[in-house]
Amino acid sequence: MWRLNKVHHKAGRPGDSVEELKLKRREHEKALRQARRDRQLVSKRLLLNDDEDQSEVTMDTNSGEQDVVAVLQKLHHSGPERDTHLKALSKALRDPSAQLTFIKQENSMHLLVGLLTGSDATCRLQAVRCLHELSHSPHTSVASACLPASPYLLTYLSGQSTKFTELCLYTLGNLCPESIVKEKLLAQGIVPALASCLENQRHNLAVVEAVGFTLSQLLQANDAAEKIIPMVLASSLPSHLLSVLTPDPKFGLGPAIECAWCIHYLTCSMKDHKVLLAQGALLQCSSLLVSLGGAVAEGNKEEGMELLICPLLRCVGNLLSSCPLTDLSAQMGDVRIVVALCALLQAFLLTQPALARESAWVLNNLTAHSRALCSALLTLNLVPGLIQLLPFSQGINTMILRVLANIAHNKKDFCVHLAHRGLLSALCATLKMADQEMVTLSMDVIFMLVVSSPQVAEEFVKQGGLSLLEATQYNSEGEIRQRATHLLEHHLLS
Amino acid sequence: MLQPDLVRLLTEGHVLVKSCDEDCLTGNTQEPRQSEGEEGGEGNPFNYTPQLIHLNKDHQLFEDGDIHRHMYLQDLYISEAEDKPTLSVSEFACHISGCSAIFSTLEEYEHHYNSLHRHVCCSCRRSLPSARLLDIHIQEWHDSLFTILSQRQDMYQCLVEGCGQKFSTSKHRKDHLIKIHKYPPDFRFDKTKKDKGNRQTKKQPQKDTTMDVVDDVCESEGVCEVMCDGLSHQPEQEESMETHGSEEEAARMAKSASTEEHADLNAAAPSTESSSSDPLEPRYSYRVPTNVCFGRGSVRGFRGRRGRRK
Repeated sequence: MWRLNKVHHKAGRPGDSVEELKLKRREHEKALRQARRDRQLVSKRLLLNDDEDQSEVTMDTNSGEQDVVAVLQKLHHSGPERDTHLKALSKALRDPSAQLTFIKQENSMHLLVGLLTGSDATCRLQAVRCLHELSHSPHTSVASACLPASPYLLTYLSGQSTKFTELCLYTLGNLCPESIVKEKLLAQGIVPALASCLENQRHNLAVVEAVGFTLSQLLQANDAAEKIIPMVLASSLPSHLLSVLTPDPKFGLGPAIECAWCIHYLTCSMKDHKVLLAQGALLQCSSLLVSLGGAVAEGNKEEGMELLICPLLRCVGNLLSSCPLTDLSAQMGDVRIVVALCALLQAFLLTQPALARESAWVLNNLTAHSRALCSALLTLNLVPGLIQLLPFSQGINTMILRVLANIAHNKKDFCVHLAHRGLLSALCATLKMADQEMVTLSMDVIFMLVVSSPQVAEEFVKQGGLSLLEATQYNSEGEIRQRATHLLEHHLLS
Repeated sequence: MLQPDLVRLLTEGHVLVKSCDEDCLTGNTQEPRQSEGEEGGEGNPFNYTPQLIHLNKDHQLFEDGDIHRHMYLQDLYISEAEDKPTLSVSEFACHISGCSAIFSTLEEYEHHYNSLHRHVCCSCRRSLPSARLLDIHIQEWHDSLFTILSQRQDMYQCLVEGCGQKFSTSKHRKDHLIKIHKYPPDFRFDKTKKDKGNRQTKKQPQKDTTMDVVDDVCESEGVCEVMCDGLSHQPEQEESMETHGSEEEAARMAKSASTEEHADLNAAAPSTESSSSDPLEPRYSYRVPTNVCFGRGSVRGFRGRRGRRK
C-alpha cells in the first residue's frame, strides 16, 4: 500500500540537503521525459515490509552479492531456519548486482519456486518477497529468469491472504512490461485472473490498488490496443474498475488512482468506446469530476488529488470525442461539469498548468459537442473567468480560445453575450500575440462576433478595430491577410 | 474558500441539473450558422468549426501529467507546496512582414507599433513619427499640386507645431529650424526630396516569397531605418538616417494601375548603387494594394483612393 504521506524520496539519502534532493529529482524527471519520448516510459513499484521504512532501503547494500551466494548455500541444505534465511535473502536482493548474481547461481530460481509453492506458509511469503525484489530489477535477464514462477503467481491471485496477494500482484505488475514475460502471462490467462481477483476482492482496497497497478502496466504497452485491450474490454474488468472509482475517504486515493489510469489507457488507445459508454463510464467519470471540482473549489485539496483528477479528465475528454450527440444527455446529464472544469482551471493554473490545459481540452470537447453546455457557460457567468486565462501560453490560451470560439459558433445570440462580457477587447490583444495559432483563432472569433450583429460590429469599430484589421492586412501570413481584408471589405466598411 | 461562486454553483444541485435535451432537437451544431444565408459573403475565407479532439496515449499534451504519475509510482512524488512550476505568459509579436520584434507586454508592442508602423507613407514606405509630420511629408513629396503651388507662394511649413510660419523652399525652412528653433542640422525628419536619390530601388519582385525577415533595426532607438532594405546602410547617403518602410504590404492584389505606379517610384536605377556594402536582403513581392494603407494621414497620398474610409 502506498500512503502518500509516508513516502520519502527514494533518490535521496539521509543527510541530503534540500537542494541536492531537488537536483536529483530533476534528473529523474529528465530521464522520465526522455523515456516517454522513446515510448519506453515504464515504472516499477516496490512494496516495503510493514516493519521497515524507506530509509532502510538506502542503506549500504554493497555486500549483497556475497550474501546472496552465502544464503543460497544455506538454503540448499534444508532446515528449520529456512524462513530466516529467506528473509536475509530478500534483504540481500535489494541490491541490483546481487539480483544478477542470484540468477546466475545454478538452480536458484528452481529453489525459490519450490519454496514459493511449498507447504510452509511463512516460507511462501518470504519467497514471494524475494521474487518481488527480483522483479524490481531493470535487467531483462532477471525478469525472464523469473518466468518459471509466473503461473504460480497467477494461481495465487485467487487466494485470500491480503499481503501475499498484494506481493504477487505487484511482482507481476513489475514483470509485465518485459515483452517476453508479457506474452507468457497473457497466454497463461493474466487478464481473467485479474478480473476474478478484482471481482472477489472488491472490498479489499489494498488488493484493488494492486490489481489496478498491474493492469495499468499491461494496458500501457505500446501494442496494447491490438491484443490486450480487446481482451480487457470483453471481461468484467471495466465495470469493476468503474465501481471502485469513487475514493474511500479512510483508505485514501490509491485504488481510485490506479483504476482511473486503467480506464484512461483503455479510452485513449481506441476511438470506439461503445463498451465503456454502455457501462456508464462517461457518467461516472464526469460526476466524480464534479465532486472533486467542488472539493477543490472549497479549498479542500487533498494531497495527490491531481493524480486522480488527471486520468479522469482524460477519460471524459476522450470518451466525449466518440460519444454520439444523441447519447450525450444520458451520459452527461449534469451541467455542473462545466463549473467543475472552470474550478479546476482556476485552482491548478499556477501549481499544475498541465492540469489546467487538460481541463481546457475537456471544455473544448464539451462545447464542441453541446449547445446546452455552451449556453450554461454563459448563463452561469463563467465566461469572464475564461477570458482572464487568455494571457497564459503553453497550450492554455489556444484551447480556451477554442472554447470561446465554440460558443460563438453556436448562435448569434451567444456572440452578442460574449461581446458584452468583454471578449472583443481581449481579442484586440490576442490578435497581437506571437503565437500564430492565437492570431488565427482570434481572427476567426472576431469574424463570428462582428457578423453576428451590427451592434457588435459597431462596438468593435469603437474599440479601434478598423485600424487593427488594417494593420493585420500587413501580417506576414497570407491567410491572415486574406481574412483581415475580407472582414474589412465585406463586413465593416461596406 | 477559494472560489465561493463556483462552490455555490456546484452545490446548488437542484438549480443546475438540467438535461442536455436541447441539443437533441437541434442536432448538428453547425447547421444554424450555415443556414443563415450569406454569412461571409462570396469567397469567405473563414472556416472555423468546432473540433472534437481525441488524444492518444503518447500525445504531447499528456506529457506533464504522465511524468507526474510516474514520479509518484517511483516514490518521487512532490507535493504542491514543494515545487512550483512556472506558468508562462504569451509574448506579443509584431506581425508586420519584415518585422520580427517580440515583446513581453502589450504596452511594449503598442509603443513599437505606434512608433514605427503607424504613420507610414504608402507611396514611399517611409515611417514618420507623427500624423502631422506624415501629412507634411506627403504634401511635400507626393503632391504634385504642392509642387506647383510652391513655385508661387510660401508652402513649406515650419515643422514645429504652433509656429505657423511658411517658407518658399525647404532650405529656408531648414535654416529657420536651426536658427530659431535650435534644431540640429541633420534633423532626421526634414530631408529634401532630392536627397531621396536612389533609395527607391525596389528590385523586381522576388519570385519566392520566403519570409526572410530583416530585423536588424527594429530594436534600435528611435525611428531610424525601420524594416530597411539592404541598401540603407550606406554611410555616404544622407538617407541612411531616414526611416523607410520595406515592402511588407499585403498580398499580391496587384492591379495593373498599381504596377504602373510602382514603376514610377522605382525610376531610380538600382545599378547606380555601386558601393552597396550589404547584399540586398530578399524582399517580399507584394504590391501595395491601391485601396489600403495603414498610414492614417496618407489618404491624400493615395493614387486610387479607397474613399470609403472617414
